[in-house]
Amino acid sequence: MRRLGGIVTRLDRDGPTVYQPAEDSGLLAEAALETAHGRVLEVGTGSGWVAERIAAERGLRVVGSDRNPHAAREARGRGVEAVVADLLEPFRADAFDTVCFNPPYLPTDPENEWDDWMERALSGGESGRELIEPFLDDVGRVLAPDGVVLLLVSSLTGYEAVLALVEAAGFDHEVAVEESFPFETLSVLRLERRV
Amino acid sequence: MKESLMDVICCPLDKADLELDVDERDDEEILEGTLTCTECDEVYPIEDGIPNLLPPDMREEEEEAAA
Repeated sequence: MRRLGGIVTRLDRDGPTVYQPAEDSGLLAEAALETAHGRVLEVGTGSGWVAERIAAERGLRVVGSDRNPHAAREARGRGVEAVVADLLEPFRADAFDTVCFNPPYLPTDPENEWDDWMERALSGGESGRELIEPFLDDVGRVLAPDGVVLLLVSSLTGYEAVLALVEAAGFDHEVAVEESFPFETLSVLRLERRV
Repeated sequence: MKESLMDVICCPLDKADLELDVDERDDEEILEGTLTCTECDEVYPIEDGIPNLLPPDMREEEEEAAA
């Protein structure tokens, strides 16, 4: 869950904030520890907590990327190999066996966007799917032939609408883990290329 | 960044190979340096061990915001 009170718990020295692990991170980590194999990329790694756990507990090589340089620094501080990047843009074709993504997913009224790093970590634009769409469009490119994608989806983001995007991008899905909270249900989808 | 990161990164604009120039390294990692696209010659900085591979317009936007 993304409760604002619980999230803005920590300020970087120079002001901007980095999204700290919450229930959604825990769920993604749970799915990733079970499923991840080979070379792993975590997109939007934030604090690096999920990437660090995959590297430590599975002994895999994990790259963590984030648009927010403060997040990349925090992730690097945890020992994660960090890159500042816009989604999947600077990654090579077929480079990763596992790609994990806990996207900014809260639907946000454009009039209410507050435009700082925490807003970017949370807001999925008006639909909540503004980053999920370009991610799904491009993830097949960076994925190795037997690769798998783990995508966290909230019911707030429109579960069916995300499934339609998954279908359109040429992936089959199954639910890896799912948990209900008072205001939303979180699912981690495991995506594989449709054969 | 570790030198082995070169196996998985490319230019965000045209997906071409990058060329690594190292200014400072320790035993394990490159701490300062640049990555230059072998096609479009765009230069991406490596600072404090982290490569910034944002497309140049996004990077400039952020540098302005930080200034």
